Amino acid sequence: MGHSLLEALNVRVVGSGDRILVLAHGFGTDQSAWQRILPFFVRDHRVVLYDLVCAGSVNPDYFDFRRYTTLDAYVDDLLYILDALRIERCTYVGHSISATIGILASIRRPELFTKLVLIGASPRFLNDKNYHGGFEQSEIEKVFSAMEANYAAWVNGFAPLAVGADVPEAVREFSRTLFNMRPDITLFVSRTVFNIDLRGVLGLVRVPCSIIQTAKDVSVPASVATYLKNHLGGRSTVHMLDIEGHLPHLSAPNLLAQELRRALPR
Amino acid sequence: MPTPVNAARQCLTQESAAALDEAVAVARRRGHGQTTSLHMVSSLLSLPNSPLREACARTRNNAYSTRVQFKALELSLSVSLDRLPSSQASKIEEPPVSNSLMAAIKRSQANQRRQPENFTFYQQQQQQQQQYSSCSSIPVVKVELQNLILSILDDPLVSRVFGEAGFRSCDIKMATLRRGSSFHPAHLLGCTSRYKRPSPPLFLCNLNGLGEVGGNKGFSFPFMGCFSGDENSRRIGEIMLRDKKRCPLLLGVSACDALRSFLETVQRKIKGVLPEGLSGLSVVCVKDEILRCLNGDGDDGPLKLRFEEVERMVESCTGPGIVVSFGDLKVLGGDDANIDGLRYLVSKLGKLVEVYGRKLWLIGAAATYEVYYKILNQFPTIEEDWDLEILPITSLKFSVGGTYPRSSLMESFVPLGGFFSMPPETKSTSSNACEYVVRCHLCNEKYEQEVAALSNGGLCASVSEQCQSSLPSWMQTAEPRAQSGPSSIKGKDDSLLLSAKVIGLQKKWDSICQQHHFSQTLSKGYTHQIPRFLGFQVAEDRKEKASNNNSNNSNESSNEQGNKKVLSSSSTDLRQSSSLKGLSSSDMLSKANNLSVLSKSSEIPSESNGVKSRHFDSLNASINGGRRSPTSVTSVTTDIGLGIISASTGREPKTPVDQSRFVSKCPSQSSSCYYRNNQMHYDVKDPKSLYKALVERVYQQEEAISAIIDTITTKAISCRNVWINFRGPDRLGKKKIGLALAEILYGSTESLIYVDLNFPNEMTHTETLFNRQVTNKYDLTMRGTVVDYLVEKLSKKPSIVFLENIDKADLVVQNSLFQAMKTGRFTDLRGREVNISNCIFLGTTRLLESSQTICSGKKYTEEDILRAKGSSIQIMITFDLNDDPTAENSPQSDLFLMNKRKLVGRRTSTDQSESLEVTKRAHKASNSYLDLNLPAEGSEICDTRSGEYSDSDSSSENSKSWFEDFDGQIDRTVDFKPFDFDALAEKLLKNMSECLRNVVGSECSIEIEPKVMQQLLAATYLYCDKRVEDWIRNVVHRAFLEANGKFGLNARSIVKLDRCEGAASEEQLEGLLPARILIK
Repeated sequence: MGHSLLEALNVRVVGSGDRILVLAHGFGTDQSAWQRILPFFVRDHRVVLYDLVCAGSVNPDYFDFRRYTTLDAYVDDLLYILDALRIERCTYVGHSISATIGILASIRRPELFTKLVLIGASPRFLNDKNYHGGFEQSEIEKVFSAMEANYAAWVNGFAPLAVGADVPEAVREFSRTLFNMRPDITLFVSRTVFNIDLRGVLGLVRVPCSIIQTAKDVSVPASVATYLKNHLGGRSTVHMLDIEGHLPHLSAPNLLAQELRRALPR
Repeated sequence: MPTPVNAARQCLTQESAAALDEAVAVARRRGHGQTTSLHMVSSLLSLPNSPLREACARTRNNAYSTRVQFKALELSLSVSLDRLPSSQASKIEEPPVSNSLMAAIKRSQANQRRQPENFTFYQQQQQQQQQYSSCSSIPVVKVELQNLILSILDDPLVSRVFGEAGFRSCDIKMATLRRGSSFHPAHLLGCTSRYKRPSPPLFLCNLNGLGEVGGNKGFSFPFMGCFSGDENSRRIGEIMLRDKKRCPLLLGVSACDALRSFLETVQRKIKGVLPEGLSGLSVVCVKDEILRCLNGDGDDGPLKLRFEEVERMVESCTGPGIVVSFGDLKVLGGDDANIDGLRYLVSKLGKLVEVYGRKLWLIGAAATYEVYYKILNQFPTIEEDWDLEILPITSLKFSVGGTYPRSSLMESFVPLGGFFSMPPETKSTSSNACEYVVRCHLCNEKYEQEVAALSNGGLCASVSEQCQSSLPSWMQTAEPRAQSGPSSIKGKDDSLLLSAKVIGLQKKWDSICQQHHFSQTLSKGYTHQIPRFLGFQVAEDRKEKASNNNSNNSNESSNEQGNKKVLSSSSTDLRQSSSLKGLSSSDMLSKANNLSVLSKSSEIPSESNGVKSRHFDSLNASINGGRRSPTSVTSVTTDIGLGIISASTGREPKTPVDQSRFVSKCPSQSSSCYYRNNQMHYDVKDPKSLYKALVERVYQQEEAISAIIDTITTKAISCRNVWINFRGPDRLGKKKIGLALAEILYGSTESLIYVDLNFPNEMTHTETLFNRQVTNKYDLTMRGTVVDYLVEKLSKKPSIVFLENIDKADLVVQNSLFQAMKTGRFTDLRGREVNISNCIFLGTTRLLESSQTICSGKKYTEEDILRAKGSSIQIMITFDLNDDPTAENSPQSDLFLMNKRKLVGRRTSTDQSESLEVTKRAHKASNSYLDLNLPAEGSEICDTRSGEYSDSDSSSENSKSWFEDFDGQIDRTVDFKPFDFDALAEKLLKNMSECLRNVVGSECSIEIEPKVMQQLLAATYLYCDKRVEDWIRNVVHRAFLEANGKFGLNARSIVKLDRCEGAASEEQLEGLLPARILIK
């Protein structure tokens, strides 16, 4: 990939301003998910958008099944992009899997980030003793087998669940992006995601974080936000959004934008 | 360079190759030098059962008949083909394939390779090739016809040809992809019957990954070569190759597993995981020795032996070096660890690293950061001594989480190519769908009338003419031929024709509306935008309906995009131009009128008693355009209603003023003039009565009110939207004005759209009560943005938009507001647009001019009053007995006495306010009431204000400069005075004591607790004087009577109104004025 990575991952820089804002989408979406958030920031920020390699909008040939076995490879991509754009300081907004990527990136290169905004982040999705991640291993296996059995049906069932609220537009949008992913990649990435466990390394984060969490999220229980806040090494705050769903940027863009504005460093 | 036909043919399936041959034949016939995409299209269309033709038929626009559209397509295609240069030389036998066509073939090849069903196939092929031959070139993908069609449609030249015939290539693509007749989102998302295969396709992991799954090593994927699945080990290796910080410390819940697997990799010498430079490493694990050394007995012998062994190994080592694993850091950090042993260990390891440098690595793991932190606390230099680099381990090894899936992933899957997923594409479709402007309802009415006439009376000559003329010229020529077809088809065609006409009408009225009518009200078309977003399903439904149902055509076709470029007919144009004339002539008239209105309105505030003022009905209110059918070309009278108002003496401002109407024929108008004036939805009837009404509802803001009315009357005449900014304190007063304006000017309070742009601001009780009166209120939990909300509401009817805290507007709102001010249109993020003339925009801000401050020594501040809560009120009777023992003890009764004495002393004097002052001071002295008035002096407002600004907006200076800009552009900025609550309190107290005196008749004194006073003030602020007066007259009066009966009040008694905590019933909590006062 190398030189063409920027192109392959559809990196876009929009807006003007001194401050740089990186918007990183989560699992099952692509950068179009930020479409309704973007207008709020383009005037006073340079906004960097990119697609994760697993996104449906990226040529699946780029998805190297050997490379993307852990999130570190995604972190490499992110850092590569930031370096290639000669970005020295930025605010990073990451949703779901990208929030995790942001955490890892900030551990590796703390000087790059002024602040992390983590939307729907979870250090670990599986339950453990003394930790409630929201999923049992057996549940996960069920999800995986459902995915294998009939991807389309799974998407149609999962999308409304993830969006959580009755916003057909958001459900449609999420189904679209989710369906754009090639199913084997989806499955592979979900396995990767459910494998991650960041709990041990949260203390290494020194960058201040804002954790944005919706009141009801199928993927991330609200207690996880508190867990994050307590274990992250830097200064961190939790912003609870009084809405439902894992994808507030699709289902309640306005609310999220306000919250983001507040969370951004001034 | 053109490609020879044979080479191109190799990339195609049989079916596609046949199409190519046909295209080549077309090119040859026409004597063209190359076979281009256009030839290909022509060949694809002429194929028997052509899938392209079929797809076109399914997407065809219901504005035109199928055949007409196909005819048009044929024409435009042949015209484009004609334009291609024909080769001068003699005819080429096989015109080679042009670059653009070849590119299309390549594109479809790539696309096809990406499809999952094919994916495995090609991988297999590739593998085979690699196995059996050294030739590793990309396998030849035979392009299927469908894919070829899809990519040919991407050719700009081709899509232009289709566009000219009213097709959109992306529609055709959709239609190509979904071939079934039933249309369901699931189908859209990829389950097309075409891809269903008898057996589930082999996919990725069911291919040959069976049996090899599991284990730590080498999970091999069919096509990826050796797959180690051990990203972590690779990263460890990377760190070890560095010059500095080269000893990895794995951190993470699964770090120990990662460590184990790394060591295993090294020991087993598995290739392909570690970088080249590290092959041949050896591992020494000192974990067990450490454990023995640190635990209990402190036996460090084995450890020392081991270290000696390590030293020997390093010295004799030929490979890259030795890895010393100290295992889990937890052992070192354990509470019962032998501290001496630990010290020895740490220094020894550090020495090893120091001495042997490049040849020796340490490696270890820790589950959490805390474990490492503990060690770090004990040995702050350990990081440098050991040359450690922390490596976060975030996931278990891949194979641990379960075996890799091997199944048939989904039966059918169509990756929807690029065109479905791309954000820009989505955007463009959505904006296309919604760009048209909503007609105002009058126009809509007219339009519907005409449509009704059309569908009832069949074909109306002039309309059909108009319709024909609106089609491109070549389409017109095609029309007669279409009509000469068999009668059954003709019937269908007629309905389609009708719908085309309806569209013509729609266009016409749209343009009329756009030109003349600024008030955009809800039209049916508006609701159509929403289904548009529901996907393509609607379009399909619509088409079906359209073919069956003539009368529905008006609605059905409104969104069809093919019609976008159909120009409004010439006849409409004619009318428009003449109507412009009409406008200008009437403008003159209205200007004359305006003058008089202006002069009147300026006098208003100063005039004390209503002189009969003649006032024009703002010209806009009641001018009725003549209703006429589009065919009649006779002269039309234009009615200009000049309302003569004989108002202003009447007490009730709300009663509609009688208007006598002058109907005048516009002298300057020429014959066929269609004229329609702007329909203003609010009319400033009588500025004076408006003023009165406002003053009655909103106290103390006379100056502001007159300024507002002045602006509105002036602006209303020029038929523009009005922008006023309310600046300063008195939040409720501003809202009241907004509400009152909505009621008076627009007829109902529902016409007030309320948005608080300072979202996080929580509502105080009083405001909550007030906001119940506001029906249209934006709530942040609503899914749309503020702009979406405004557009939606404004498109229903013109309204007053009340933007509270406009200085806090976010970027999107800021931009929209600016744009709206400039263009008179509000556009939301989806491209919906709404006209905002006749709307009044009221912004409020608590900011004053930067120099001004609102600090003053007021006792009751707005903040406090707004914060007041409703509670029940009780009366307590105390007596002024100096020897009362309780009075001496409790500070509270002390306070009563103090007040009483003062009150008794000068009860009759006018300075009741001072008595309150004393109350307050007394409270200051007694700590029990600290939270009431004392901290709430004006200074607090300043504090909260500056506080808010410091943290409310990330770009406060930015938004401020925006706001200054905004302030400069709006019509008027009105300053509000702070509401004088103290005077009001005085008045209330006076009323109360008067009431008491009426009951008791003697000189007994009254005392009102500050909290109760706040509550009453809030009530007064919220409702109006009268309601509170009534309340005093009824409720308080009754309570006094009761108290008098119970206790027998005399001159020495003090009646005290206090809050009654805890005993509040719901009904009392509702409002601020309880229905009953308890007596104690």
